[in-house]
Amino acid sequence: MNTSALVAILVFAAALLSVFGVLYRMATRSHARGELGYDGIVILRWALLGQLAIFAILTLTAFLS
Amino acid sequence: MIPPVVLVLGLAMKSLYVLDYVHVLTGASWTGFDLYTGLVLSRVLRSLEIPARVEVAKRLTPTTFFIIPSLAAVAITSGIYLAQAMGKFNLADPWILAAGAIVVVLTVQGFGVFLPNGVRIFLELAKVKPDPGLISKLTMRNVRLAASQAVFQVLIILVMAHLAVY
Repeated sequence: MNTSALVAILVFAAALLSVFGVLYRMATRSHARGELGYDGIVILRWALLGQLAIFAILTLTAFLS
Repeated sequence: MIPPVVLVLGLAMKSLYVLDYVHVLTGASWTGFDLYTGLVLSRVLRSLEIPARVEVAKRLTPTTFFIIPSLAAVAITSGIYLAQAMGKFNLADPWILAAGAIVVVLTVQGFGVFLPNGVRIFLELAKVKPDPGLISKLTMRNVRLAASQAVFQVLIILVMAHLAVY
């Protein structure tokens, strides 16, 4: 297992999740004010899921190298 | 989703050839996208009215939203594995340090500005009353950022060429 690669990928994923967390909070507030439809929240969830899938696959590479 | 899967296959096969192929292909595609966006698309968008820019953003943002982060993440990850496999990952080497510094700049720009801007464009488009001015501003910010990324991409290719030859 490549420990440094695993740590780098996890740090990277954590940074991305924090950015998405801020955006998600903005989106839910906007939804509560009636500016943003529920579709926007769904899009954001799918985007987050897609990014998480990419990082999950990259995490796997740390165990293969 | 294809680039990370091919990277996994290359590592599972312990194939330096596949690893090199994935690194060069994803890196070149990422550079090509940034060069095209920064040098060509930016000029086209600047010449359009705001409603037309919004129409471009509606179609451009969803396509780039998954492709670019996937290409960037795989190009960087495969590059590190490749350098390690070729015995070139020496942190005392100024060329490796230069590559690392450029990668940090590209990563912060890409995942700290480009990606959140893309999400904000998406969310604005999903609003009951989207603000065309904001969508246009965010799109133009991403286009200008792509131009700056293209400069760093050209620099990193210079470093890569040195590492590959010497």
